[in-house]
Amino acid sequence: MEAIAKSDFLAKGAQPAKPVVLWRPEAKTGPMSWLTTVDHKRIGFLYGISGIFFLLVGGIEALLIRVQLAVPNNSFLTSAQYSEMFTMHGTTMIFLVVMPIGAAFFNFVMPLQIGARDVAFPRLNAFSFWTFLVGAIIVNLGWFMKAGAPDAGWVGYTPLTTRTFTPTHAIDMWVMGLQLLGVASIAAALNFIVTIINLRAPGMTMMRLPVFTWMTLFTSFLIILSFPAITIALVELMMDRLFGTNFFEVSNGGLPILWQHLFWIFGHPEVYILILPAMGIISEILPTFSRKPLFGYPIVVFSGASIGLLGFGVWSHHMFTSGLGTVANAAFALMTMAIAVPTGVKIFNWIGTLWGGHLTMRTPMMFALGFLWMFMIGGFSGIMHAAAPADLQQHGSYFIVAHFHYVLIGGSLFALLAGIQYWFPLMFGRKVDEFWGKTSFWLIFVGFNTTFFPMHFLGLEGMPRRTYTYDGNMGWNLGNLISSVGAFILAIGIGVYLVTAVYTYFRGARTTRDPWDARTLEWSLPNPVPEYNFRAIPTVHARDGWWYEKRHSAEVAKEAEEHAKAEDAHGGIHMPFQSIYPFLASLGIFIGAIGTAVLDRADPALYPGFWGPKIAVTLAGGAIMFVSVVLWSLEGCEGTHIHLNDDGSVKGEDGRGGYGPH
Amino acid sequence: MLLSNRPNRPARWALAAAALAGSCLLSGCFWLDGPQSTFDPNGPVARAQLDLFYVTCWVTLVIFVLVGSALAYAMIRFRARSDDDMHAEPPEQHHGNPLVEVSLIAASVFSLVIIAIPTLKGIWFSYDVPEAERAGAYEVTATGYQWWFKFDYPNETAQTIDPTGKLVSAPLTTGNELVIPAGRPVHVNLRTVDVIHSFWVPKLAGKVDMVPNRANSLWIKADRPGYFWGQCAEFCGESHAVMRFRVIALSPREFNDWLDSQMAPARRVLATAASGAAGPKAHFAAYREFSRNEAGYTDRFAVSPLDAWRQQQMPDSDEDPALIAKGRELFTAKTCASCHTIRGVEGAVGVQGPELTHVGARTTIAGGLLENNRDELHRWIHAPNEVKPGNKMWVNGYVPNNIRLTSADEDALIAFLESLK
Repeated sequence: MEAIAKSDFLAKGAQPAKPVVLWRPEAKTGPMSWLTTVDHKRIGFLYGISGIFFLLVGGIEALLIRVQLAVPNNSFLTSAQYSEMFTMHGTTMIFLVVMPIGAAFFNFVMPLQIGARDVAFPRLNAFSFWTFLVGAIIVNLGWFMKAGAPDAGWVGYTPLTTRTFTPTHAIDMWVMGLQLLGVASIAAALNFIVTIINLRAPGMTMMRLPVFTWMTLFTSFLIILSFPAITIALVELMMDRLFGTNFFEVSNGGLPILWQHLFWIFGHPEVYILILPAMGIISEILPTFSRKPLFGYPIVVFSGASIGLLGFGVWSHHMFTSGLGTVANAAFALMTMAIAVPTGVKIFNWIGTLWGGHLTMRTPMMFALGFLWMFMIGGFSGIMHAAAPADLQQHGSYFIVAHFHYVLIGGSLFALLAGIQYWFPLMFGRKVDEFWGKTSFWLIFVGFNTTFFPMHFLGLEGMPRRTYTYDGNMGWNLGNLISSVGAFILAIGIGVYLVTAVYTYFRGARTTRDPWDARTLEWSLPNPVPEYNFRAIPTVHARDGWWYEKRHSAEVAKEAEEHAKAEDAHGGIHMPFQSIYPFLASLGIFIGAIGTAVLDRADPALYPGFWGPKIAVTLAGGAIMFVSVVLWSLEGCEGTHIHLNDDGSVKGEDGRGGYGPH
Repeated sequence: MLLSNRPNRPARWALAAAALAGSCLLSGCFWLDGPQSTFDPNGPVARAQLDLFYVTCWVTLVIFVLVGSALAYAMIRFRARSDDDMHAEPPEQHHGNPLVEVSLIAASVFSLVIIAIPTLKGIWFSYDVPEAERAGAYEVTATGYQWWFKFDYPNETAQTIDPTGKLVSAPLTTGNELVIPAGRPVHVNLRTVDVIHSFWVPKLAGKVDMVPNRANSLWIKADRPGYFWGQCAEFCGESHAVMRFRVIALSPREFNDWLDSQMAPARRVLATAASGAAGPKAHFAAYREFSRNEAGYTDRFAVSPLDAWRQQQMPDSDEDPALIAKGRELFTAKTCASCHTIRGVEGAVGVQGPELTHVGARTTIAGGLLENNRDELHRWIHAPNEVKPGNKMWVNGYVPNNIRLTSADEDALIAFLESLK
């Protein structure tokens, strides 16, 4: 019961300060219930829906790119439009798709895996989502404005992104949007770290944590340690653009190489932020569908930690061509090769998991196995890049594009798609149809390889990336055409996958609890998961806690009864308050961001002094944010206590609400 | 049904293997020796880099065969035989095997060492001309502009004509095409005047970036005379895709001949006694119309590009001296001189655009995008905005100076520029 005692925020006998409560939202259904929710499952759902939406946006951007490149000297897109497409495709897929869908899983699954009722800071969790949404909107606003969408690449190298070379607001919106996405990520990561350290159920020692939770922990550490670097870079660029400082203004001694260092000190850990959750998901799916525990659990966990740690030491392998010199290039080449070791070790352990098991080829397993093959190939091209002299030919070419799409689609996306299908029964009580799931897998698999395998050759044949056109005498015609055809096959596959998911959400076959005979605690819950998660916080006796529970049901039932009684005597199940302030704070941030990044400076003729529309809007947004945060801190955090009926419904509620279909 | 739950092993595996192999093989139907192919090294740097790449290919191929076989075997051998297996008695719950783990880690480290050693050697080799050859290295400087390459020859002097008519020395500067001596290491200093660019001529060497406020360099060496394609490889704005260049390597004698011809100021085509009296001949030829984004190359360079380059050095047979003289005047009158230098043309000392003293002898114009012939040259000066998106000649030249060229103007300018051999 220590977790419950620990979760008591007020020391015994202490007198709490009188809370200032303007409004205590209590809606369980309807739009207000979503705007004020602090339920980690609902927040996860919101992240997931957003990620899927932006998957479509980024996918369309990719298809437009592939149409333009299908034939040489094409005029489907202008150069300016093409620049917007590749910039936004990259920014969208990384920050608005893979990260939020990963966050969706962190939010939904992790607390359930550790036996908690919610994350440590539920309102901060909501704030993370709303600020993410604000960042996503700001970064995409340019599509609807004269300035246009950001168009200097997802890495935004200076001095191209300085005011001298790109004076429009497109880059201001990119900078601001990314900054806010960083704020959201850092807040969420802090939340998850505290949750994992502090809110584990009794008996859930660190070495009994499911691997997905471990990867959540490592990813969160990577986020809080790496995002500050890009925060600094973005602040400096913003100051150059808004206030005329000279961090990157070359005419005044600015150093563009500084941007590269700051960006990649963030950027490389970022790619591990994108892949570690995927590895965590695979580490849950393979054991379940092999009906064997994960092979070498401690090594897999330790490899995850090593990858995270070493990931901070390899950033300049993105800068092998920047002229850092022989010693730097040598050091980073060797470190980059070193990081292949823990990655390879994980693959060996996953194969060891399959070895001797009973493999059932359900759709999540197909995606997981596809991940193993595709990530292996992506890893090989990564090793090829690590050989710095060879990379001098590969950098800036389609060989790089091939590599990172193999690890990001074949790796991250495959794992996320696997996870969606795997946890679908838990989240929504319905199982995705095997036929359509597998059809989507094969279409995606074939489409993906057809699109990206030719790019290895295109790059080695000298085709640079970020080019809106190419001549027909370079030998690149067939490769590009095949790639473009593949892109449409991939698109159809993703389409089938998503239509199937949506259909299943509304009308899919209902499932029983634990349809996969899984191993981790989240599967002990009914589906869809009730608001309070666990009737009684479990005591964990072993790694793969649910597997143990299934085989010791008498012992577990007795414990559960004791826990439930104790919690009831303690006042009931402790649930957090809903709140409007996370949403309002994000709204204030949104308005402030519009002022900073979108509005033009005032015409000095009309507004001669300090004040003008830009300043006024920025300050108004800041004020709303400030007031919201103050009221947030004053409204108290004691939460409520609920009691359950025998059937699991909450006493006093009408049973509606939640996030799933009814 | 191939895609349902029912076990249908042979067909399913055939499908999987076919899918993967098919997609891979399709991409193998490529021509691997295109003009910018890294598989066709023509110098020691590119060759060393390719050899290292092959080492990584072999090592990863071996790993792929070993690991892939284990994975494929596991996927086939340990498949559940029927649907019931989902809830049947699970197999033995092995948790790991430290001996296997440690051996695999050791094997991984070993295979990386195989790559690491040539990598380290290659880093030092690619960085600068080897010690032994440094004394004989040839020095050039490449500068990136949006969106063309300038080439300076710091150890050569050229000649120009000063305002009093005297022959004085001047730096040797060219653009678009870097002519180098073959069989000799060439040290290329890399600079930029605006954003980050990258100098990449794949058949000679991997790229190094041109970073503002940074003194990067690389070295190349062409084993034999040849004509090589290059391209900017770091996104630098709207016309990054069409910021291209050529490297021409010549035998020592031919290179000296080239230097001699470059050293002279702009070629004058004097009227002969017979044609002197008459004015410019009417030009009846019509120029080709190009659509936007239409290719700027012909197959003139497909077979023997170096011979085509040599041909380009020769003056045209139908030069019209009067037309050329008119073009020379227009070059200044239409403000071209304010951005472009032509040594020997008074007032043509602009440095914002490529130097044009011997532009007629270059095989490409517009930053390596268009072949240098009359049709393309007309295309370029008639409507630059239709050729290179955002190009400065249009934005900073034509538009603010309200440059308008009649067909007669264009004829004359083209004749003049083509005469600058």
